[in-house]
Amino acid sequence: MNPSNIETLIDAGKKRKADFVEIYEEESRNSSIALRDQKIEQSLAATDYGIGIRLIYGTDVLYAYTSNDDLEHLLSLINLLADSRGEGAASSGAFTLAGSSSKYSFSPRVHDPRKVAPFRKLELLQTADHIARKVSSKIVQVGVSASDIVTNVLIANSEGLFVEDLRVRSRFYLSVTAEKSGERFVASESPGAVKGFEFFESLPVEELARSAGERALFMLDAGYIEGKKMPVIMGNGFGGVIFHEACGHPLETEAIRKKSSPFVGKLGEQIAQSCLTAYDDGTIEDQYGTIRVDDEGMPTQRTLLIQNGVLKGYLSDRVGSLETGVPRTGSGRRESYQYAPVSRMRNTYIAAGNDTMDSMLASVDFGLYAKRMGGGSVNPATGEFNFAVEEGYVIRNGKIAEPVRGATLIGKGHEILPGISMVGKDLELAAGTCGASSGSIPVTVGQPSLKVDEILVGGR
Amino acid sequence: MNLEQAASFVLEEGKRYGIDSFDLIATDSEDIGIEVFKGRITSTETSRSRGVGIRVLNNSRPGYSYSERFSKDALSQMVRDAMDQTEITDPLDMELPSPKELPNIDLKHFNPELEKLDFAWMRELGLALDEASWNSDKRVENVPHVGVGKTSSQSLIANSKGVFVRKESNVAYCGTGLVVASGDVKKMGSYYRSGRDISLFDPKYIAKEAAHRGTELLDARPLPSGVYSIVFGNRISPQIFGMFSSPYFADSVQKGSSRLVGKLEKEIASSILSIHCEAHIPDYPGSRLIDSEGIPTSAQTKVVEKGVLKSFLYNLESSKKDGVLPTGHGVRSYSGRAGTSFSNMIVPLGEKSREELLSSDSHCILIQKLEGGAGCSAVSGEISIGIQGIYYKNGKPEHAVDRITMNTNYFDLLHKIGGISNEYSDSYSSIKVPDMLVSEIHIAG
Repeated sequence: MNPSNIETLIDAGKKRKADFVEIYEEESRNSSIALRDQKIEQSLAATDYGIGIRLIYGTDVLYAYTSNDDLEHLLSLINLLADSRGEGAASSGAFTLAGSSSKYSFSPRVHDPRKVAPFRKLELLQTADHIARKVSSKIVQVGVSASDIVTNVLIANSEGLFVEDLRVRSRFYLSVTAEKSGERFVASESPGAVKGFEFFESLPVEELARSAGERALFMLDAGYIEGKKMPVIMGNGFGGVIFHEACGHPLETEAIRKKSSPFVGKLGEQIAQSCLTAYDDGTIEDQYGTIRVDDEGMPTQRTLLIQNGVLKGYLSDRVGSLETGVPRTGSGRRESYQYAPVSRMRNTYIAAGNDTMDSMLASVDFGLYAKRMGGGSVNPATGEFNFAVEEGYVIRNGKIAEPVRGATLIGKGHEILPGISMVGKDLELAAGTCGASSGSIPVTVGQPSLKVDEILVGGR
Repeated sequence: MNLEQAASFVLEEGKRYGIDSFDLIATDSEDIGIEVFKGRITSTETSRSRGVGIRVLNNSRPGYSYSERFSKDALSQMVRDAMDQTEITDPLDMELPSPKELPNIDLKHFNPELEKLDFAWMRELGLALDEASWNSDKRVENVPHVGVGKTSSQSLIANSKGVFVRKESNVAYCGTGLVVASGDVKKMGSYYRSGRDISLFDPKYIAKEAAHRGTELLDARPLPSGVYSIVFGNRISPQIFGMFSSPYFADSVQKGSSRLVGKLEKEIASSILSIHCEAHIPDYPGSRLIDSEGIPTSAQTKVVEKGVLKSFLYNLESSKKDGVLPTGHGVRSYSGRAGTSFSNMIVPLGEKSREELLSSDSHCILIQKLEGGAGCSAVSGEISIGIQGIYYKNGKPEHAVDRITMNTNYFDLLHKIGGISNEYSDSYSSIKVPDMLVSEIHIAG
């Protein structure tokens, strides 16, 4: 959109007495290729385009979006929004974009996926399928996909901000199904990064495929753990999904401002044991949740959430900051132009501690080693969370014993947090997709291996 | 360009490029909605989203693309993109359908009266619902979610053989999610109404029901681990059956992702269970006369009848593979590839009341809330999930339960269904399953 039209739109919003006006334009070029049943069953290249207009009155948010960039149509949306509040017109001087202006493009390291022919990904998919099936004749299905998205974003607002950002992300997804006597088990891998085609060029596809195939086969013969409360040692990497869901979401000002979080009013208080420190960091190079600027145009940052067990910070966007007084942390994020931004996580992790896996295991007579987590969710208002364990093992007398499947962990985030008593040294991050009120966004979760003294484990 | 102009342009472009076979789906929807918090309209949203997606079959090789821009340049680029993709895909053995006359049935998916609903109506209803929520019970501590809105949409399905079907629909919705507290214990209760009959949008009733759903769980405590009979409440049974719909899709069976492979005409469930797909029920959200690939739908497909698996659901690709006629269960959005779906999944009503089901065992848990779905796999059938509800002893409610988990397998559970109630929930949903009694379920507490 040309700056003159942006100025006209911001001016129109100001004339309808909005305290803040923001224009967000986004054009995405996405491509994906998928193999299943040993066939390339889908190849897609497409364009998403749209404009989001946000008017803020005090802390009330009015949002409109459209795929139609016609100026008259956009002006009509602004008037429709203002009319919905019964706002009249005010006289104001013509608005000019005179604030900070930034334009970001790819770093020289990025191999622009728009310039790569789709067949370049074929070998990757076929290799993954071949290696996974080679693990055993019991592997009955392999699904693989490789996708990338390049997004041009323009953010301008009535404070004069004018930012253009060129973003790239790539993701690989692999699922392997093993079958024996009618029983089936699915194991998956899904790495992702803020990278272009170089992500696929350096991806350890064979290792990922072999690992998923072997896990699917191994877990097929796993039994069930007896369901009850017990100590749980959680594996590193994607195990961080529990902290993300059970503690991260309630630390977003979107929950804090609605008093819909157990952490309201707890800044400066001890909410966990001193072994626990946690960050939400948008600056880590190439990680899937990394951003240069957030979707409100603010540069990203590293935000300390918990230090030695003491709650130190929340994640804040513009509206959350206005309502709670918490400074903005560059955490305003949205899936696309179809959503108004709210405070969201980026790369959220528990920092490395000093404990060893051996010492954690030694402290458990009977418990669960949740080596790999599946998905999960939380209700921020009540803190109730639930998670699936994809790969689990019984811990017996301080030793890892037989594998178990079908285990779930349930509890309340603010009650589990103080139960984290040991934190390992093996910090790892893992890509994921986080869904909330502003859509599904790329994030990473992470943690070292850690011990929780007691969680209810669902089993048989 | 409007929707029809865009679709017509794409059809012309397809011909111009000499593409032998292609179809498209296009949608254009307008939404308006508000959110209310503590007597304030905190969020107002209006949107217009549209897109057109094409699937081309070039020498049987599929290629997909879509565009949200309706300019000639963008749509032409979309057609070229789809063609480019066909250079790397594997051939797909399928044939697009020719136009067929559709039955003259009014599915009642569009109510012109809803088009008159404006922000003023939403504001009034939203504020009334917010106030009613705060006043619904003295234990209400917070009302973080109150929303009102409506959606109007048009969609169009067309192909190179002359299919060109347009439909329009609209729906309004409102609801509340509130937090009730007793000491340190908090529970959330939510109740939403949606549909085309706004006389049902009674703020006091909606707020009372949401409060009841929260307060009935406030005194919850765990149960000892063991094997129990359970009753899925009729709000919960649709969630369970919805999570496990894909095993009935032929493409899942063909691709090794369903445990129902080889089970046609075999007993896969208790003889009291039937599962039908019904596509012509007026005012049901999943009803449709034509599927997303241009195949006319059937009024009823018997998927499971008295415990016996009778049919899988097919789209064009999977039907060709099995050498059968497509059943009209193809589904696709403009941005995705074709899949399979129930239109409306219906489990016929039984004859017993919920109370009778709960009295059928001396110890029984009425499940009123599932906690997430991450421990459920439609491929393996695994169900490992947190539950909340009411514990019944000798048919009488004893106390609410939480902090317990249910662990079973969907394909085993089907055989353990011991009773089906005579009542559906009142939700506007394409999945209708009554309360359901299931025996011998592992509970951990």
